[in-house]
Order: sequence, then C-alpha cells, then structure tokens
Amino acid sequence: MDSLYLVLGLLAVASFAGLVFRATRGRGRELSGAELVDLERLPTEKNGVPTKVLGRRATLIQFSTKYCGQCPGVRRQLAQLEYRHGGVSFLEVDVTDRMDIAAHFKISQTPTVLVLNSNSQIVYRVGGVPHMNEITEELAKLGVA
Amino acid sequence: MSSQIDPRGPRFGAGITAALSLIGFYLQLEGIAASATFTLGLFVLFAWNVFLPATHPYALIFQKLVRPRLSAPTSLEDVRPPRFAQQVGFVFSLLGVAGLALGSGELIVASFAFIFVAAFLNAVFDYCLGCQMYLVLKRFGLLGK
Repeated sequence: MDSLYLVLGLLAVASFAGLVFRATRGRGRELSGAELVDLERLPTEKNGVPTKVLGRRATLIQFSTKYCGQCPGVRRQLAQLEYRHGGVSFLEVDVTDRMDIAAHFKISQTPTVLVLNSNSQIVYRVGGVPHMNEITEELAKLGVA
Repeated sequence: MSSQIDPRGPRFGAGITAALSLIGFYLQLEGIAASATFTLGLFVLFAWNVFLPATHPYALIFQKLVRPRLSAPTSLEDVRPPRFAQQVGFVFSLLGVAGLALGSGELIVASFAFIFVAAFLNAVFDYCLGCQMYLVLKRFGLLGK
C-alpha cells in the first residue's frame, strides 16, 4: 500500500512541476538598472544579414539557436511588430556557436527575447515563447504607438 | 539545415516511456521481480533511440498508426534536442541497469523516477527537460559541438 502512495506522490510532483512550468512559460519580467547592450559586440542580424540599427524608441533582440524549434515562429511574430510599429528595430542573434554570448546573458533556453529602450538598456526579458501582448505592452511603455 | 521532425512524435514516445517507467517504479517498490524486465526494457528502448532512431518501434508506430490520424503539424522541430534528450534518458536507464548489477534497489527506483518525471513532463506538458539541459550543458562546456 505504501508503494501506491509513493506512485501517487511521484505523479503529484511531476504534475506540480509541469503546472509551474506552464504558468511561467513565456512570462517575462521587467528589469531596472540592467546593462546597456553594446551592439558593436553582438553579431546581430536581420533575416541573416548583419545589422546594427537601434530602434528610435525600442529594440527587440531575439537569441536563437539553429536547433531551436520555436524560434522561427517567434521571429515572424516579432518581425511583424517591427513592421507594424514605428521606432522599433528587431534584431536576432544566433548563439549556436557563441556560448560566450549565451553565458554572458545567462541564456538557458531559446528563444530568449530582450526589449531595449532607446538608450539600448535592457528593460524587459522573457525566456521561451513570449506572450505577444506582453511585448506590445512593454513597447507601449517605451512610447511605441 | 539538419532534419526536421513532427514534434508530436517524441511526445507520443514519451507517453509510452512514462507509462512503462511508472509501472516499473511501482513493481520495484513492491519488490516484484518483474521490475527488472522494465529496467532492461527501458534501457533497450533508449539505446535503440540513441543508436538506430529510424527503426525504433515508437517511430514506426507513430508513422504508421498515429500520424495518419492527426492533422498536419503546425510546426516542425529540429531533431537534435529530442535526440539529445534520448541520450539523457539513456544515461538514466543505464543507472537502473547498474542498480540491477549492484543489487541496489535505490538506484533502480531513482532511475525509474527520473525517467518518469522527464517523460511525463514531455508527454503531458510538452516540456522537454532533456532539451532544456542541452543549452545549459553546452554553455558550461560539458558537451562538444
């Protein structure tokens, strides 16, 4: 009988872990006093072409890897935001072979998305597939119409 | 670009693995000798997936019986993270086999428990624990390219 309780306990632990994961997946957090990102030191790209243009009001940086299944979908959605709103620049960094960059930004999952203000300071960060409405809200706070 | 797969394939396999490991967990706790079959069975299934993934029974059942009944996948995922997750599973199934060899019930129980939690999270919550470990382990230089 005791074994059955342990089986149920194991199920409960796994379910709890799954629910915590589901509740936090794609949830971002606002950062204050975070670092300024130096684009000169980041291999940022737009559609595979090296680009270092900061947005007038905000910049979105997506960290991806070649083996990341959900990165292309997020790239399309963020590129849409850039297209629809003025003053926003969307850049992508492939960290597949740049573990130094992944370590610097403490990236443990891809995609990871950073929102930078006009001074290129990180103000928001989300690991996993972001909720697009939260990104839009963050952009609005930076004066993006 | 490396090969892309339907992400529901690994999830389907994880569901079977979760069921097998939970049954094994219970049998081992009850001291029923048949649990050795589950330890060895999981070891063979993981080894098969690591060394000969194309002929694996999970993959064949999914292709022949499951996928024809599903709608087209909304997205494909890279084969590397789920394959890496299988290698992680393989290491933990090896722990169970070591437990058998050494006569250590604790090792066998721990092996079943870890395999169950990882497979359950993958099957039910679409959270691939092994895949998440990929970037972190690579970051700390524990994996080659």
